[in-house]
Amino acid sequence: VTAAAEAQARIAVIGLGNVLLGDDGFGPFVIELLRAGWEFPEDVVLVDVGTPGLGLVTYLDNREKVILVDAVGATGYAGELRLYPNEDLQKMSLQPRVSPHDPAVQETLWITELAGCGPREVLLLGVIPESLDLGAGLSAPVRQAASAAAALVVSELAKGGTIAVPQPNPRIPDAWWMRKPHRGTFPALPDERRDTGTAPRS
Amino acid sequence: MARITIDPITRIEGHLRIDAVVEDGQVQKAWASGTMWRGIETIMRGRDPREAWLFAQRFCGVCTTVHAIASVRAVEDALGMEIPPNAQYIRNLILISHALHDHIVHFYHLSALDWVDVTTIPQADPGKASSIAESLSDWTGNSRQEMARVQKKVVGLLESGQLGIFANGYWGHPAMKLIPEVNLLALAHYLQALDFQRKANQVVGVLGGKTPHIQNLAVGGVMNAINLDSLATLNMDRLYMLKVLLDEVVPFVQQVYFPDACAIAGFYPEWFDIGAGVKNYLAVPDLPTDPASTTFDLPGGTIFDGNIESVRRISGARDDYFRQGVVEDVTHAWYKGRGPQHPWKGETDPDYTDFQDEGKYTWVKAPRFEGKPMQVGPLSNVLIGYALQHELTRKWTDLALARVSAIAQRPITIDKMQSTMGRYLARAIRAAVLSELALRHWQLLVSNISSGDSRTFSAPHFSKDPVEGVGVHEAPRGSLSHWVIVRDGILSNYQAVVPTTWNASPRDQHDVPGPYEAALLNNPVANPEKPLELLRTVHSFDPCMACAIHTLDVEGRTTATVKVL
Repeated sequence: VTAAAEAQARIAVIGLGNVLLGDDGFGPFVIELLRAGWEFPEDVVLVDVGTPGLGLVTYLDNREKVILVDAVGATGYAGELRLYPNEDLQKMSLQPRVSPHDPAVQETLWITELAGCGPREVLLLGVIPESLDLGAGLSAPVRQAASAAAALVVSELAKGGTIAVPQPNPRIPDAWWMRKPHRGTFPALPDERRDTGTAPRS
Repeated sequence: MARITIDPITRIEGHLRIDAVVEDGQVQKAWASGTMWRGIETIMRGRDPREAWLFAQRFCGVCTTVHAIASVRAVEDALGMEIPPNAQYIRNLILISHALHDHIVHFYHLSALDWVDVTTIPQADPGKASSIAESLSDWTGNSRQEMARVQKKVVGLLESGQLGIFANGYWGHPAMKLIPEVNLLALAHYLQALDFQRKANQVVGVLGGKTPHIQNLAVGGVMNAINLDSLATLNMDRLYMLKVLLDEVVPFVQQVYFPDACAIAGFYPEWFDIGAGVKNYLAVPDLPTDPASTTFDLPGGTIFDGNIESVRRISGARDDYFRQGVVEDVTHAWYKGRGPQHPWKGETDPDYTDFQDEGKYTWVKAPRFEGKPMQVGPLSNVLIGYALQHELTRKWTDLALARVSAIAQRPITIDKMQSTMGRYLARAIRAAVLSELALRHWQLLVSNISSGDSRTFSAPHFSKDPVEGVGVHEAPRGSLSHWVIVRDGILSNYQAVVPTTWNASPRDQHDVPGPYEAALLNNPVANPEKPLELLRTVHSFDPCMACAIHTLDVEGRTTATVKVL
C-alpha cells in the first residue's frame, strides 16, 4: 500500500504499541494477523503505527471510521478484551505534556476535531496486558486474545457493511520482531557474492 | 520551601520525571529521572547486523527514522563501507523531512501553549491579529477571515465548557504575557501546522515506502530502485511529487514557523536570561555528501564553557576526538558499574534502588565527553555552525537575532542564545537552514540520477574478526550515536547514546549535574501548584525518552501528576 492510498482510505484500523516491550506489541501483532488472514476492501487501511505521539494525527484525520487496537491499563485479567466507544475516550483526562509521546490518543482526537477533520466514528479495542517487560513477544493469554481481537475487528467492520474476506490459505503473520536472535554463524546470502548496485528485497 | 514533582503517568511507566526544590520563588536544586528501564539494546545482541535497524526503529515511536539511520550507519562504519551517492541523498532527504516535521510539531503542538494563553482569544480583534501577522510575514494564510474563523472555533469550545485539547493548560498564569491578537494568530498557525507537518512526513513516506516505520533502508545503501521510466520505482513522477511537497513545506517553515518563533522570543525577552544550564555543547556532522561520509552539509564540533571561540570541529564518525571521547557514568543511575565506560565496552546491568536524592535516582546513564556533561540539540547545532562560519547557519541566525531584537527593543546577541528561549529560537533557525538544504539535496539527487547513475546499494561483506563501529546522526533532539561490535557476522554489543540521555543525564561521579538539572537552577516559579516556568525550560529541550510505552490508561487514574510536597 502506498502512502498516498493510505491517506485516502475511508476506514483505518490502527495498531498502537511498542513491539519490543512484551504485551505492548499487541496492537501491531493484531494488524499482522489481519493482514495474514483476510482480504480487505480498498477503502480499509491497516497500519502498525508503533508509539507515535502526535504523529497519530496523520492516521486519524479525514477518516469515517477508526478502530484503534492497543494495550490498556484497566482492572481485569490478562488477555481480557475491552471495547471503548469514542465517548469513553473523551472522558479520559489529560496529563501534563513533557515528552512528544504525551499527546496520547484522546489529545490527537481533540486536535483533529478542533481542526475540523476528526474521524466520524472511533472505537478502541484494548487488551489488558500481562507483562510490559523488555522483550519482543506476547504472553500466552495476550497472544490468544490477539486472534479473538482480529475476529472482533472484522465483525465490527461488517456491522458497517465493510466485508473482509477470509484468505483461503492464511499466511503466517509477519511478526518479524518475534524472531529469535541468531546465535550461530551468519549464513552467506547469494547476493553477497556480487555487487549488483541494487539491494535485494527482503 | 516546596518540592515539586512533575511525573506524567499517561502510560503506566516510562517517563521523564522532574523534581525541583523551590525556595523564594526560584529553583534551588533539580533532578531529572527516566522512570523506565532502558536496556533495550540487550535485544540486539546476537542479531543479524543487517536487520538491526528494523529493531532500532522501534526503540521510540517518535524518533523512528533517526534510530534506523544511526543503526545502518554504525554497521557500515564497522565494515568500513562506502555507499552510493543516491543512497546518501535519499537518506538525507528523509532525515531533513523528518526533522522539519518534528520541529514544526514541537513548536506548535508540544510547546506553543506554554506561551500562548488560548483563553484570551475571545477578546482579540481579528483584523488587528491579521495586520500583526502581515507585518511579520508574507504568508497568505493570515487574512482577517481566517483569524475570525479560528476565533469562532475557540469561542465555541470555551463556551461549551468542554475544553478538550485545552483542558490541561495553565491559563491565566502570570507568566503568560502575549496580547489576545498574538494568541489568536499563534493558534491559527497551530491549526495550519497540522497540514504542513503531515506534508513533511509524506516526503518520508514517498521515499521510505511507509511511515512511521520506513522500509527502504539497507546496510550498504537504500532499497529504492531507480528507473526514470518505470512506474514501480523512484521515477520522474515520484521525484516531482517530492518537489511539490517540499515547495509547500519550505515556505511554511520560512514564512510562518521562523517568524512566529522570532515573535514569541521577542515578546518574552526575559527568557533569554533564564535556563542556560550546562554550557558545553556537542553536535555531530550530518548530511554526508560523498560515499565515504567525509564531507557534510551540516558541521559538527564541540564548544566548552559557553565560549564560542573554543569551538573544535568533529570531522566525521571516524574522528578519534569523537570516537574516543564518549563515556557513560552510572554513579547515580540504576545500573551496576565500575566507573565511566566507553559505549563499546558498555554494560546494561540493572541495579534498582528507590529514588534516592543523593544516591541512584534514574534509569538514564550519564554520558560525558572529555569528562564533561554536554548539551545537545538544535542550540548546539546552531552555536557550533555559527562558530565554524557555516554560511546558512550564519544567515538565518543573524536574521533571527535582528528580528528578535527589533521586537524586544533591546539587543539580543548570539551569547543570549545560551538560554531557555535560545533553545526554542535555535530550533526555528535549524528548521530554516534545513528547509534550504531540503531543496539542495533534492537537486543533488535529481542531477545525479540524470547523469545516468542509478546505483543505490553496495553489498556488505562480513569477516570472522570482531570489528567496531559507530553510526552518528544529528537528530531533531541532538547528537545520536549507535555503537556496535560485529563479530563473525552477528552483533556482540550494541549501545545507543541518545540525545535525551545527554540532556536528561543525572549527576556523575563528581556530582556534576546534567543539562536539564542545571538549566532548571534559578528558574522562577510563581506558583508551585502551576509550575509553568519549569515546563517551559524542560520543553525547550524537546525531551523524548526512548522506548516510551503506549499503554492507554482508560480508567483515568489521575493522581496529582504535579505534586507539591
